[in-house]
Amino acid sequence: MALFSRKRTVHSMTIREKRDFHAFVGFTAPTFILLGIFILWPIFYSFYLSLFKWNMISPKKTFLGFQNYQDMFGDPVFWLVVKNTLLMAFFTVIVKMAISLYLATQLNKKVKGSSVYRAIIFSPTFTANVAIAMVWAWIFEPTFGLLRVVLKPLGFPMIDWIHSTSHSLPAVIIVLIWSGIGYDMVLFLAALKNISLEIYDAALVDGANTYQIFWRITFPLVSPTTFFLLITGFINVLKAFDIVRIMTEGGPLNSSNVVVHFLYQNAFQWFRTGYASALALILFVFIMFITLIQNRLSKRWVHY
Amino acid sequence: MKKKRVGVVLAIVMVLCLSTGLWAAGQVEQAKPEGPIKIIYWRSLTGVAGEAQEEIVKRFNASRSDIIVESQFQGAYAEILQKLQAGLAAGDVPDLVLLDSPHLQIFAKEGVLVNLDAFVAKEPKNFLQDYIPGLLADSYYSKNLYALPALRSTPLLYINEDMLAEAGLPRRAPATWDEFREYCKKLTKVNANGEPIQYGVGFTMGATTAHWYFQGAVYAFDGKISDENFGVHLTEAPAVAAAKLWQDMVFKDKSAVPSTSHDDLFNKKVAMVFGSTGSMGNVMNRATFKVLPAFIPGQVRNGVPVGGAVIAMPSTDKWRQWAAWEFMKFFTGTDSQAYLAEKTGYMPNSTSASKHPDLVKYYAANPHWKVAIDQLQFVQPQASVISLPKGTEILRQMVEKLLIANMDVNTVMAETKADLEKEYNENFK
Repeated sequence: MALFSRKRTVHSMTIREKRDFHAFVGFTAPTFILLGIFILWPIFYSFYLSLFKWNMISPKKTFLGFQNYQDMFGDPVFWLVVKNTLLMAFFTVIVKMAISLYLATQLNKKVKGSSVYRAIIFSPTFTANVAIAMVWAWIFEPTFGLLRVVLKPLGFPMIDWIHSTSHSLPAVIIVLIWSGIGYDMVLFLAALKNISLEIYDAALVDGANTYQIFWRITFPLVSPTTFFLLITGFINVLKAFDIVRIMTEGGPLNSSNVVVHFLYQNAFQWFRTGYASALALILFVFIMFITLIQNRLSKRWVHY
Repeated sequence: MKKKRVGVVLAIVMVLCLSTGLWAAGQVEQAKPEGPIKIIYWRSLTGVAGEAQEEIVKRFNASRSDIIVESQFQGAYAEILQKLQAGLAAGDVPDLVLLDSPHLQIFAKEGVLVNLDAFVAKEPKNFLQDYIPGLLADSYYSKNLYALPALRSTPLLYINEDMLAEAGLPRRAPATWDEFREYCKKLTKVNANGEPIQYGVGFTMGATTAHWYFQGAVYAFDGKISDENFGVHLTEAPAVAAAKLWQDMVFKDKSAVPSTSHDDLFNKKVAMVFGSTGSMGNVMNRATFKVLPAFIPGQVRNGVPVGGAVIAMPSTDKWRQWAAWEFMKFFTGTDSQAYLAEKTGYMPNSTSASKHPDLVKYYAANPHWKVAIDQLQFVQPQASVISLPKGTEILRQMVEKLLIANMDVNTVMAETKADLEKEYNENFK
């Protein structure tokens, strides 16, 4: 970086500086070229595309200016999709983290066979989402599905989750929570192992109860992990696609449609490449915004 | 000054070299390349229908030393659509592609498929006459031929025959939609709590299929969804009657449910499902009970929309186009079509294939399978609106509004008509 801050051109460099500069360029070029081609260029290009009406097949692109953005903000389906995405992100992340933190604290005690439990709880993490979605679609099936078998004796009414405008989104959220618990739990467990036992001993000697120990010691000390999982979890759910695609196709009537799936439908099923690019850009800006906010807020309550 | 002139001369020389080079390259392209020409065919469909296509490719490759066809499985029709779009944008396309028939129009319209008229002109005069007209009709875009019928199908009704017997119904399919409704009532069973444990029929809600079965119902009521000029007729009596019937069966009779896959039939949740003739092989193989494949019910008359796939040519190279045409002829030719019909249940696309001795023999031994070919007499083209970019989606949402949201029929039909007209005006016209 010092190379740039000194306002000197390459010509006036000493031989040694020149050599350093060439090494610098040589070492960073591969990364910069890859980033440029696969990340930066697509971002700029999709912004460019978002200003056009284009069906991806035609050689002709019609310039629209910001019409796609105007259409998007005026489209009730877009707002429904945004609402669904936010609801999904909020509930998935909060519930998933709460359950996994609870499980981690339980497994952190010296339970018999805890490694077996750990493996079982972690297993959804390395299962393909496609398989998860297909199995859960069967579990949710109202007449012969597994959930029915469990809920029926408890007196729950029969629900056709997948074909219901009110239950399709909760169904997707349940699956996302289930499939994400394992990963969060393992990270929480690692964080718990790092907390010195002496602190707990001291707390016990001082007569703290379990509730106090959790909220005063455990929770603050795992907060860096909580923060990390909050951001990555939130962003991952914003990008959720495969489970929605396979379980509900975003339906019925867009009741479980989310931004990335809606984007896919626009781009590849309905031939609206410009509109889809506009969606992609909005999602990009939104994710950046969320990350910034979370970074700000984190300073208040994360104890590194 | 002198330097500049040298530059200009150099530039001229370069331009000349380049253009002669290109010209030479152009000349080379005209000559037939040495060795076998390798072409790529993107196929869809899994199970029996996938294996049968591989077999056709194998047979073709065995019969030709000058052409090699490489068949590449690209996923469901929707994924082929997506990959073809991406391929076109990147300038890297297969030579042949199996396209869900509604998608043909938009690709032909944008000029990315090879117009086949010139190839047909080189064939014997009656080349196209063997194809069944109802199956060839939607291969045209503005009077030019862009595809050949490859795996054509019609919707069928698949019935669990054991359940018919159990419900005391005759072992035959309902002839009209009224009779169909009565069947469904009798085929519905409830448990002690009054909860249904078996339904008469599952109405398919799939993105690419929901509209298709509904079209069949509208045809039976002697109506249509839209005409060739994209006039939408959904608010007219026949379409409204079909919609009302379906909705009443779900919400009044409670004898029908929205369904996503044929698993509902296999798991004995429903007694009947609609399905493609092309699913016959898979349905017959997977069911653990006796299946009766039957006509879509009639009402005022019988009529079914043709569906399935056509084979089209995005190839950009002259000799590869020639090779692709050779494979297209083979794939849609008599022997291949008879084989495909026997294996999969797709309809033979030509008169000669339907009279092929192997197929005649097979139908004699398996009379159920003949239903596909018998239904050919009622085949009609699909509604024009399904070629609109969002056409099938708008129609699927219509079915969802009717059968899931239970919205008022007239409102739904009026909304759908408006949506389709808007889509036509903004994105197709």
